[in-house]
Amino acid sequence: MMSTKLTDESRAAFAALADFLIPAHKKMPAASQTGVAGPLLDEVLRLRPDLQDDFMRGIGAITGEKACDAANALYKEDEAAFNALSLVASAAYYMTPEAREALGYPGQESLTYDAHTVPEYMTNGMIERVTRRGSIYKPTPR
Amino acid sequence: MTEVAIGSRRPAGRDEEVDVLIIGAGPSGSVAAKHLAQAGLSVVTLEQGHMPDRNEFPGRKPEWELVTQKQWHPNPNFRDQPRDYPINTDESDVHPLMFAGVGGSATIYAGHWTPFLPSDFRVRSLDGVADDWPFSYEELLPDLETVEREVGVSGLPGNPAYPPKMSYPTPPLPIGKVGTKAAECMDKMGWHWWPGTNAIPSLPYNGLNACVRRGTCMSGCPEGAKSTTDITYWPHAIKAGARLVTGARVREIEVDDRGLATGAVYIDENGRERRQKARTVIVCGNGIGTPRLLLLSKSKHFPDGLANSSGLVGKRLMMHPFSAVMATFDEDLESWRGPFGQNIASFEFYETDESRGFVRGAKWGAMPAGGPLGATSFVGTKAFTDPNAKVEDMWGSHFHDMVDRRFGHTMVWGIIGEDLPEESNEVLLDDEMVDTDGIPAPKLKYKVSDNSEKMLKFHEDRVLEAVEAGGAVETSVVHQMADTGWHLLGTCLMGDDPKKSVVNRWGQTHDVPNLFVFDGSTFPTSGGLNPTATIMSVALRQTRHMIAERRNQEAA
Repeated sequence: MMSTKLTDESRAAFAALADFLIPAHKKMPAASQTGVAGPLLDEVLRLRPDLQDDFMRGIGAITGEKACDAANALYKEDEAAFNALSLVASAAYYMTPEAREALGYPGQESLTYDAHTVPEYMTNGMIERVTRRGSIYKPTPR
Repeated sequence: MTEVAIGSRRPAGRDEEVDVLIIGAGPSGSVAAKHLAQAGLSVVTLEQGHMPDRNEFPGRKPEWELVTQKQWHPNPNFRDQPRDYPINTDESDVHPLMFAGVGGSATIYAGHWTPFLPSDFRVRSLDGVADDWPFSYEELLPDLETVEREVGVSGLPGNPAYPPKMSYPTPPLPIGKVGTKAAECMDKMGWHWWPGTNAIPSLPYNGLNACVRRGTCMSGCPEGAKSTTDITYWPHAIKAGARLVTGARVREIEVDDRGLATGAVYIDENGRERRQKARTVIVCGNGIGTPRLLLLSKSKHFPDGLANSSGLVGKRLMMHPFSAVMATFDEDLESWRGPFGQNIASFEFYETDESRGFVRGAKWGAMPAGGPLGATSFVGTKAFTDPNAKVEDMWGSHFHDMVDRRFGHTMVWGIIGEDLPEESNEVLLDDEMVDTDGIPAPKLKYKVSDNSEKMLKFHEDRVLEAVEAGGAVETSVVHQMADTGWHLLGTCLMGDDPKKSVVNRWGQTHDVPNLFVFDGSTFPTSGGLNPTATIMSVALRQTRHMIAERRNQEAA
């Protein structure tokens, strides 16, 4: 496995690529504004060690290059590395509170409800229309 | 004949001979262990995986979506965890999905609870294809109703897709905005729909907590609210004296000079070979693991594999070809919210209508679509199918617009088509591939049939009609997805003729009187729906018969 030690230069290259892939747009912040190139990047790579080799190879290829050109070249020449970089960028982005709040995504939250509440479909005629059409199964042949 | 002694409810000691050895602690093995132990028999179950720890399930963590693409992926070849065994799928159109652990693959299932219908037991009589089962829907119904109360199913009684039956132990789960919109689609077409029945209780039940709609069912329920047998069966089984050995990978079932099973050889977690002796052996390893073990258990009495005089061990593999239809609406459907069981289901086109150009049918289930990371890959990177496409065609502002359009606004209709049995679809032993204990891995040969192709296309078109009638603004179809082999059935056929089947109607192998198979590998046909309800019901039926006949059971 390659070394995953990230230099300031490689973090900057990743931030630039992440912003090319995920720029500020309407209500959504740019990737780098949410901190995807900081400690969160290390965390994502720790969570997915299977991505590390492809990611580090991709970082090596794009460092020092213009993000737009580097992304297109990488996609054509090393799709696995491009996929690792883009997955790390998008996964990290949607893990951040900033992106989630802008998107209106509270995460996979726990919700309470009253299981004994009569559902709307029981009172608005929808389920009744199904039952009035009658059985639709084929019975066991005798 | 050797009489099986009634156990003392004292857990059997290590290496002590027991009345019953069960191989596999998934849904069927768990049903057998609990009921046999409660009937007073001494029981040991060997399970290659571990007892799940729900604190390890990722559903509460921000990285949930990221790790479900690897460590919690349902494909064991892709997940590649130490307790998984590899499967050669080079010659298989569908990839099998499973999980090794107490509770089995249900640990990561969605909990759709859809018992087989009456016609599923009479496919030959009704449609002239495949085989009838040796028993009927009505004969299995008492076992189904018992299992539903043990599992803690939630649902609304009165579904006209089924004959009248006992109500469910907990009320239906909220169908949410996804289910409401999906029901509106079906209502506009005048087609059958029903609130989803799920193995997920809406109230605390039998050790389970009530579902809190977290929506992460398929990576293990961190709430302890999805019904799996580690919660609903094993506490009862252990209390009744059953012994559970985890991290135990069985290599072979042994036989004596008379050809009767004497127990099994397994590798424990320290790599040590051990031997569990038993007067009766039940295999519950699923439609791949069970034939693998029987084929591994060759001996002078059984040179072609254990209980394989018919040559049918491993044959007739059924895995349910599956398609998904994604439909996006303008309305906010909050479609990351759970349960990730089925919000509603439809059986409108379940029964055969030969004018459609195929026989049998499919169940549809409407589900949520998950989180934003999943929304980025619903249809793959289709922009790149154009060789001249650029990265910015899919990413940048287009990426945001796509997620904004789809995330929270999309439902997924899963179409499970009946998979008819064919002897050319089979489980073999691979010549080279082995698991981490050096045991030969299974190899699959499986082709999706022409009947299945036509069936899926017909159903995809009908789902599209319904969602478009309901106002979908964007749709996409993923036809016959590869990573959908959840339902592993048919490879140890149940039947009355020893020349044409592996086990009899009670799950007893024709060749070895004290060797049984209680899992879905005995199914003559697959139905067109999720089979766990029927797998557990059949296991209970066979277990009850074993208990009733225990004094007449021949043993080594």
